[in-house]
Amino acid sequence: MDEALCPVHRTILYLSDQISSDNLKEPKIRRVSEQILKLLEEISNGHAGKDHLSAIDELIEEYFQESGDSGVGSYLKSVLTNERETFQSHLETGNCAAMDCIRLSPSPCQMACPAGIDIPTYLSLIGEGKDAEAIEVIRRDNPLPWVCGLVCTRPCEMMCVRARIDTPVSIKFLKAFAAERAMSLGHYLNPPQKPLNGKKVCVIGAGPAGLSASYYLALMGYQVRVVESLPVPGGMLMVGIPRYRLPREVIDREVAMIESLGVEFCYNTRFGKDITLEALKQEGFEAFFLAIGAHKSHKLGLDGEEFYSGKACVDPMKSGQGVIDSVEFLKQVALGNRRVPGRRVVIIGGGNVAIDAARTSLRLGVKSVTIAYRRTRSEMPADVEEVEHAEEEGVEFSFLTIPTLIEGDGTKVTGLSCVRAELIRKEGSDRLYPIPVEGSDYIMEADAIISAIGQFVDIDGMEAFTGVKWTRRGTIEVRHTCMETSEHGVFAAGDAVTGPATVIEAIGGGKRAAEAIDRYFNHIPQPRIPKVPVRYRREKPIEMPASTKMSLKRPEMSMLNIDRRRITFQQAELGYTENMVREEARRCLRCDICRRCGKCIDICRDKMGIGALKFGYMDFDHPVETDFRKTSETCITCGACAANCPNEAIVIEEKSGERILKLCGTILNRQKLLYCDSCNAVLGPAKYLDYVQNKTVHVAKASNQKGRLCSACLRKQSAFPG
Amino acid sequence: MSKYYLFQDVKKCIGCHTCEVQCKSNKDLPSGPRPCQIIQVGPNLVNGLPRASFIFMPCFHCEHPWCVSACPTGAMQQRHTDGIVFVDKDLCVGCKACISACPWGAPQWNQESGKVEKCDYCKDRIDQGLKPACVTTCTTRCLKFGKVKEMTEIKRKRYAQHIASPENSAF
Repeated sequence: MDEALCPVHRTILYLSDQISSDNLKEPKIRRVSEQILKLLEEISNGHAGKDHLSAIDELIEEYFQESGDSGVGSYLKSVLTNERETFQSHLETGNCAAMDCIRLSPSPCQMACPAGIDIPTYLSLIGEGKDAEAIEVIRRDNPLPWVCGLVCTRPCEMMCVRARIDTPVSIKFLKAFAAERAMSLGHYLNPPQKPLNGKKVCVIGAGPAGLSASYYLALMGYQVRVVESLPVPGGMLMVGIPRYRLPREVIDREVAMIESLGVEFCYNTRFGKDITLEALKQEGFEAFFLAIGAHKSHKLGLDGEEFYSGKACVDPMKSGQGVIDSVEFLKQVALGNRRVPGRRVVIIGGGNVAIDAARTSLRLGVKSVTIAYRRTRSEMPADVEEVEHAEEEGVEFSFLTIPTLIEGDGTKVTGLSCVRAELIRKEGSDRLYPIPVEGSDYIMEADAIISAIGQFVDIDGMEAFTGVKWTRRGTIEVRHTCMETSEHGVFAAGDAVTGPATVIEAIGGGKRAAEAIDRYFNHIPQPRIPKVPVRYRREKPIEMPASTKMSLKRPEMSMLNIDRRRITFQQAELGYTENMVREEARRCLRCDICRRCGKCIDICRDKMGIGALKFGYMDFDHPVETDFRKTSETCITCGACAANCPNEAIVIEEKSGERILKLCGTILNRQKLLYCDSCNAVLGPAKYLDYVQNKTVHVAKASNQKGRLCSACLRKQSAFPG
Repeated sequence: MSKYYLFQDVKKCIGCHTCEVQCKSNKDLPSGPRPCQIIQVGPNLVNGLPRASFIFMPCFHCEHPWCVSACPTGAMQQRHTDGIVFVDKDLCVGCKACISACPWGAPQWNQESGKVEKCDYCKDRIDQGLKPACVTTCTTRCLKFGKVKEMTEIKRKRYAQHIASPENSAF
């Protein structure tokens, strides 16, 4: 049998095969097999309870009693032992990541989210105006929905199926709206907390990974202390991301929610300097979570870099701060030092940090800011939107530029020596490499140079953890299923593990670590397979006409006017109105219900010969345009699509005199019903009856039938024509 | 017309529905579909006494079946060897066109499988030389299955007996 199949599904196939092939002669064994099959099917369709696995175990024992086992029992036993985690995961998460258990197959957005948020559920809730409930669902996987709603890199939107029709659903921002609304109405609440269990965990670093782990640990009843070297919470959220993208209040309010769970924050405390591992252990801390981030900048390695580093003139309006790294620069600004870095600033790098540094410089009042990047715009790792915003604000770009030397007059920086580059393709690599063009040297005038070419983990103070291993990239080595380091009881996540990465990855890592720390304390072995995201429920889809589903468009994000954007740190994105948010949420196609197998399309087109379902987005073999409105033109509401849908995504129902065809709430067709002249039973819509009549007209012309009768009345009538 | 005929001796039938039960259990059907059905007519007063009759309604296996014409997928078929009309479940998509088309209400809807069920004279049993399931358990033996010719004999004999009976006799 195919090993790539989900083991639950594979076992069901095996067992039904055994039962139908008459291999199981003994009545008792047959009964046991049928009972096990029933339990397995319940696991596969999400109807199982906690005791299902132990019940199956007990039933399996019956194979080995009396006459001995014919092989079925030992097969089942080995699967249940070897693949136990997957079976357990089906029960706990309601998610079959292999997508073989149809009812449990997850949506692409949820699988793309590093924190595994149940996106279709919360979008539906927001669409219905249930913001607080949506926030409650999000916070089961991500304790910082407001922060992520503003700054997430949204891998979910990359996978959004709606993008195959028009544009992805604005998943990211809807979270921020719901969080803001819930917070403002006082409905942003913490879930009930377990009573304190007397165990202490120390979290090092109050960034997204640390906050996430603290939140889940505190909910589980652990006493958590967060040690943070900065005077503020949030880590890179606070000192890396500029305020015009993420206002401080947003971080403060969400951190306050975590603090209210009893998490103790020690600011201005550097681990290894202000507090030692020994002291913490003596205080009774038994588990440690390292979320120290990646706060050190890579050096440019250019002549003059060291010499002019941080050389600020007395009057910065006359000349700049010299050479500074972007992490330090952004941190200084975030902590309140809003001095202008210089008049003409050059930023070296092409990532989001470079863009942040450039836009921050503008807001501080520099005359001109140029981003020097070795490759071209299309190779820039920064977000396309961020680059566009920077351009709108007046940031200049100098592509194919390799810096070679920091120019200076001995006291201050005067410029940056550069050489032009050209891109060549190296063998065995997809990435284009810049190589210098001989003799194309030139000088860019500048009095401040900000380097933004990447960060790495600052290992200072981490020597205390002697058992922790480090990777070649200078990050902490962990087992990714549980985020445990090579030292027992020490866990790590966030940028310290991944290298500079995203907020949402750090949050996901923090959550996994919290679960692992709980297992550590309870002496439960750590999982071998990565945990799959949890599907909490199957929210009823929102009903709407096909024309609405098609005509709703992703709204443009309105921005602060350009003048104010350039000179202040006010939030640049102004957000959506409530109406926009509710409508945007309704654009979701509910991929948690419709798994886009395309069976309905095939049946309508190939079997029925009607072809009313124009769902190009799920039909790669026949790339037609998607238009839900077109269905009603030819559909006869026969219901064959609904009868064959494996997950009740496309349904047909009869309500107030109409037969209605719906795909995840989208009303594709509605037709008036005709009724039996005798008993008033439903016959179907005229269009459907015409379809049948047209097919039978050549054999049925002799019919002298009067009126229309249902099949039950027809049978009665033919039994007793009087 | 199929070359078989399922004859019900209405006079003998007591309406016990055993045929229906046996049919459904043979085909392993959930509640809902009834490939054969006993239709009760009456009771009506006949000579001051209440009388009911029970009519057995399977599929008639028409010569030109409307259901076969109506089926868009080719699931509903007529076996050319003996004219039995049956549904190939693998091809059925559940559009119910056959149900709408049949003037006798023979094709039945199986809610659980989302497909159509229909009397096929238990063709798998017939092919093994057995009788249809309904016939095998008929308590009064009023159901008889065989070639059309044999079946007509019963009616003919009975009619002859009827004419020859003392009340009707010319003697």
